[in-house]
Amino acid sequence: MMSDDLVEPVASELRHQGESLVDKAAHAVVSYREGDRAPLAQLVEVLTPLLWHTVRAQGAEHEQAQDVVQGVWLALIRDIDSIRDPRATLQWMLVTAKRAAWRAVRKSRDDLARAELDEHATDWLAAPSEDRPDVVAVRDEQDRILWDHVRALPDRCRSLLGLVALVDRPDYSVVSRALGMPVGSIGPTRGRCLAKLRLALVADPAWGAR
Amino acid sequence: MTADDRAVARYATEAMDDGDLQVLRRLAVIVDRVDPVPAGLVDRIGLALTIDALHTEMAELRMIGTPELALRSDEASIEAVTITFTTDVLTVMITVHAEADRVRVDGWAAPAGELAVELHQGGRIVRVTSDADGRFSFSDLGRGPARLVLRRPEQPDVPVVTPQIEL
Repeated sequence: MMSDDLVEPVASELRHQGESLVDKAAHAVVSYREGDRAPLAQLVEVLTPLLWHTVRAQGAEHEQAQDVVQGVWLALIRDIDSIRDPRATLQWMLVTAKRAAWRAVRKSRDDLARAELDEHATDWLAAPSEDRPDVVAVRDEQDRILWDHVRALPDRCRSLLGLVALVDRPDYSVVSRALGMPVGSIGPTRGRCLAKLRLALVADPAWGAR
Repeated sequence: MTADDRAVARYATEAMDDGDLQVLRRLAVIVDRVDPVPAGLVDRIGLALTIDALHTEMAELRMIGTPELALRSDEASIEAVTITFTTDVLTVMITVHAEADRVRVDGWAAPAGELAVELHQGGRIVRVTSDADGRFSFSDLGRGPARLVLRRPEQPDVPVVTPQIEL
């Protein structure tokens, strides 16, 4: 059973594809409460990558990040009946993911206070360096140039752009807010981070050259 | 404020354009390539949520027999492994036939009756109904962790869930 305002009378694949993550998450929560679990299963597929990169941006290592992401989903299910505003679900999940990642990272750093752990426990968003796996993964010349400029940005800008890139425009503000960036830091205007990146690219003669 | 700062500040307040969107699209691809979501994570979460959702109302089956046999996926050609699960209300015996990378599961539940049987594997659910003798089967399954959820006609809201088995 779905409520009237969420039921789509005809095949609605296309409309759903155009929905923001905020809409999809709200729809999944409401449907789940009414006994239809399919929208939530779909949400797991589309939202897990964003949660993954959000958690990795806090410096969580590979195994730890998987546990954190799974924990966020389990927490959602356990609290699903107490969510008052389903449209706040996405924001709640991103903030939960970020905080859980902080805690996990801090705990592992306390447990194993070794300097080299910190190097392994960081990832591309948290701390760039020259010998990282990303250097191997990015081979295309234009991608390489873009990536180098992204990595040269301040930490917060690097995280923001990396995560905003994973969503469509209607979700920019939720992602920025969840990261603790000021509302409106990106979209509808460019915002400082994207402005810096674009200007750096424009100033690079190799960018756009074939 | 330097000239650069002023340029950034001015450019930052302009509306986003196609160039911005192209850069972000390209960046999304790089992000996924540099640090891909681990294979199987989405499936594992789907399975965990299913089990978690059922947990309050579920009767977990106890496995009797030799579960480790079912874990042997390194056999080259054909295997057939029989596993029995039992609870107070239901006994389920399944035989797992693996051939290359495809798996067939034949099952039998007692007491006999038409049961709704679901096989949960990753985010995927395959549903069949047993015949009046309690026999059911799933064919052409992929390999990987899975579990059965059985619903008896007299108590469809209280599913019986098997432990995870490796197909």
